[in-house]
Amino acid sequence: MVQAEMVEAMEFQQLSSKYNVSGVPQTTINDGAANVVGAIPESNMLAELKRIMSK
Amino acid sequence: MATLLNADVVKQIEDAFAPMKESVHILYFGQKENCDYCDDAQQLLEEVVAISDKLTLTIYDLDDDADVAKNYNVDKAPGIVIAAKDGDVVSDFGVRFAGIPSGHEFTSLIQDILLVSGRDSGLSQETRDFLKELTEPVLLQVFVTPT
Repeated sequence: MVQAEMVEAMEFQQLSSKYNVSGVPQTTINDGAANVVGAIPESNMLAELKRIMSK
Repeated sequence: MATLLNADVVKQIEDAFAPMKESVHILYFGQKENCDYCDDAQQLLEEVVAISDKLTLTIYDLDDDADVAKNYNVDKAPGIVIAAKDGDVVSDFGVRFAGIPSGHEFTSLIQDILLVSGRDSGLSQETRDFLKELTEPVLLQVFVTPT
């Protein structure tokens, strides 16, 4: 159910601009349902996922 | 052809791979056109896989092997899937790279291989419990630059 993809931001610029990537790392969840810039600790990731999935 | 990894780096990777327990299978997806880094990415993986007998690699083409790509949800080239392998059974752990894993991301590649080899995400029980209950797929895309 979970897929995690490292995306090289320079190589896939269309995707980077689609999600407004301005700083790296940026984690984009479910096609922009959430965007988190900077390193994301597991607890924050879990909180973001809970927030999105409960919508 | 000149190697991408020098002897020192190969030695470091050998040391890192030494504790590897289970086998890891890497699927690589290239593309014939409009792929500046495909050749380098493929060569890099071939050199990494040669370092450990617990690693295997299959080379695919995003267009010629569209069914395999679709099966693994790969839509970019170079595209890399780090999967588990037990006997002849390949298990997808959802780990992907889009783009060449160079620079700092080369470390991520090596760590992902070790993580999949260990067959343990290292996540907390709370996270595992939440993920177990998922009813819809989750796609995490981590944008990085190779420097």
